Formats: sequence, C-alpha cells, structure tokens
Amino acid sequence: MTELIERAESAPETETIELSMQQAINRALRTLLAEDPRVLLFGEDVGALGGVFRVSDGLQKEFGDQRVFDTPLAESAIMGMAVGLAMNGWRPVPELQFDGFAYPAIDQIVNQVARMNYRTRGAAPMPITLRLPSFGGIQAPEHHGESLEALFAHTPGLKVVAPSDPGEAYSLLLQSVRSDDPVVYMEPKACYWDRRPVRLSEPTDPIGTSRVVRPGRHATLVAWGAMVHRCLQVAELAAEDGVELEVLDLRWLKPIDAAGLAASVARTKRAVVVHEAPLTAGLGAEVSSLITEQCFRDLAAPVQRVTGFDVPYPAGPLEHQYLPTIDRVLFAVQRTLEY
Amino acid sequence: MAEENITFSLPDLGEGLVEATVLEWQVEVGERIGRNDPLVEVETTKSAVVIPSPESGVVAGLHAEEEQVVPVGAPLVTFTVERKDGPQAGIVGRVPTEEAAPRRRVRLKPPTD
Repeated sequence: MTELIERAESAPETETIELSMQQAINRALRTLLAEDPRVLLFGEDVGALGGVFRVSDGLQKEFGDQRVFDTPLAESAIMGMAVGLAMNGWRPVPELQFDGFAYPAIDQIVNQVARMNYRTRGAAPMPITLRLPSFGGIQAPEHHGESLEALFAHTPGLKVVAPSDPGEAYSLLLQSVRSDDPVVYMEPKACYWDRRPVRLSEPTDPIGTSRVVRPGRHATLVAWGAMVHRCLQVAELAAEDGVELEVLDLRWLKPIDAAGLAASVARTKRAVVVHEAPLTAGLGAEVSSLITEQCFRDLAAPVQRVTGFDVPYPAGPLEHQYLPTIDRVLFAVQRTLEY
Repeated sequence: MAEENITFSLPDLGEGLVEATVLEWQVEVGERIGRNDPLVEVETTKSAVVIPSPESGVVAGLHAEEEQVVPVGAPLVTFTVERKDGPQAGIVGRVPTEEAAPRRRVRLKPPTD
C-alpha cells in the first residue's frame, strides 16, 4: 500500500493517475498537512497504524507525531479536543473510526462544534473537519454501516459532504478543511478501494453544489456516496430499454443544492432519490420536498424514494437485502414513468 | 496469489495472565492448518486450553518447545498464508465485489410524453 501511494505521489497534480478513494484521501491529507502548519490529524489508530483503512498511511512518519497522532478510544474526548484546539487557532481534522461510533460524540458535535461560532458571535469559529468513514456495503459488524447524514444535516451550524469517487474525495476534502466552518466529511467505505483514473485538482465548484454525473431526459436519480454508483448501474440498464436517466451526485448534503435539483428535474419531470439510510425522516424526504416546492408544475409524477428500511442496519450477510437494489430503483423509476 | 508470513503471539487467555506453558503442539512445521483447527494446548495458572489457529495456511515455524513457559505477547507460531491479489480490505469488513453483469428483473417502458 505504501508503495502504491508513493508511486502515485510522484505524479504531478495535473496528470491523470489511477488511484483508489482511500489513496486520494491520503493525498489530500498530505497536501493539507504540508500547506498549513495548523492542520492536525488525530483519532483512533490514525497515527502509528495509519488508519484501519490505511487512509492516513505514512502521514505520521512524514509529519511527526505532534501533527498526526493517536487518541484514546473515546470519541467524545476526540471531538472535545478538536473544539479546544480550534479555539486556540488550530485546524483539527479528527477521525471517528466508524459512523456508529459518532454517537458517543454527538454531545460535543451538536452542542459545541456546531454552535460555538454562533454562541461566540463569530469570535470562536470551528474550522474542524470531522472525517467519518460512513455508510454500508462492506459486510462489517454492527455500528460500522450507519448513515448519519440526516442527523448532521439537521444540526444548524454543520456542513455535510459525501464524495462518490477518488477525484471528488480529493478536492472536496481540500475544500472542507480549508473552510472556516465545521464540516462532516462522510467517506463511503464501499468506495475506498474503487480505483479509477483521476486528475487530482483544486476545488473548482463552490460548497453546496451538486454535479450531474450522467445526463438523461426521462427522470433524475439523486444520490450520494456509493449509491451514485448504484444509480449509474441502473441508468446503464435503463438505457437498454430506451429510458434515459440523469444521475445527479448531490455530494453536499448540507447545504443542499436546491437550484441544481430544480434545474435537473425541470428538464426530466421525474425524480427518484436513492439513499442507504432508513426511509423515515431521511434526507430523501428533504430532497423530495425541495424538488416538489420548486418544480411542482413541472413534475409528471410524485418524487419517489428508494432507501434502506426502518430497521437497525442489518448484519453483514443481510446488507444486500437492505441496501437499495437495482430492481428496487428500477421499480421506482417505472412508477414515475407510469404515473 | 502472493504468500505472506504472519506471526501469531501468545494472547492473554484470561484476565491479566502474564504467561502460559506450552503443553502440546498439535501441528508440525510444514503442516497445513485450517482456520480454527486446534493449534496448541497451553496451560495457564487458571486452566489448560487448546488455542485454535487464527490463520489458514502452512506452519512455517514454532517459537516455543513443549514444557516451555511463554510470556504473553511473545511469538508463538509463524504461518505462511496465501493472499489474494487485488485490494486488501481494511481491518474491518470486506472489499465489495462488483458484479460482472448486474442482474435485473424489472424492465422499463419509456414514457410517451
């Protein structure tokens, strides 16, 4: 792994290279640590081990254990420390090892990280980027496949982003860490090993913009993280039937690109939101509302949601029954076409 | 397929035990062993237990003689294991496998409008 990362690093930034998302995030962290001495990386196993997914591989060796370091197994303390560091001028990039282990840190995240800037009338901004390996798809044990985006998006003061490919992961992480606001950066675990040619580039789009990853005219599929790839599979299959689906990668889950959603759905007249999180009060409801409020007269069918079920995330061998399948998304598309 | 040597150290078999005595090896060097097959019987101050093999592979080396006292954390056995080519999973979970041809049952009808 280290060899692969080293080889990738020798390539200049403008060149197209093949990288996995986990390597791209490693590259972004290295860029950030090198450009700003206030950036600190810490969390469980982040330092000596290089992260359970090798995301911080080699960074402690390169930048030292004062800037890249391990913490006790105490999520609340990790986020509390990030708050203190941010108040003292640092730019912390804490990692909570898995989505499900963010729950013990919710008090710090909601009551301190998200509010400090507001509480102090701007005197203590929180330039914290919480790296959170998120979502399911890798048959991991309980607490390792959760989708917490609705919880964070519902918390005023936080920004939330979920990249879907290595190039996006790189530029969105640069953007998140350079932002003076706290950002929850959700890394889709199922995409960590997904290697593809990427051009590592500086962020070009503003925070809060979506992107169309496949244009189409009959319906818009809205997704983020690994579900973008599920939707691309569905769009490919739909094309066999003569149905052209547009796939919109929302990527910023707070703020949501309301204008981008409206622009797409005003053309396609139909929309299906796909996410891994449970249905009820999930972010799909927010997306559906934003579309309906803006495109009511354009819509040819009600916005459909294809999501996980309202149950705790299942054990690994059952997760393929829980995550939106190709057929469930196709059914939803058909419902909008036949309405 | 690439081969890799993995050394397994004596774990703490109770709560706060510091050592164990090797009673009997249940494998020899060069022998193939499956994951969870009986590996070695050891005796602690609490009990005698058989440790199952944590790996599936070939036994490359035994680091203690029978009757020898081994401190917790000291190397016990080295395995040669085969590693699949391609990306390695993290410490938790598996690398998702991409279906070559995604299966579908639902067919779509294009809209008429």
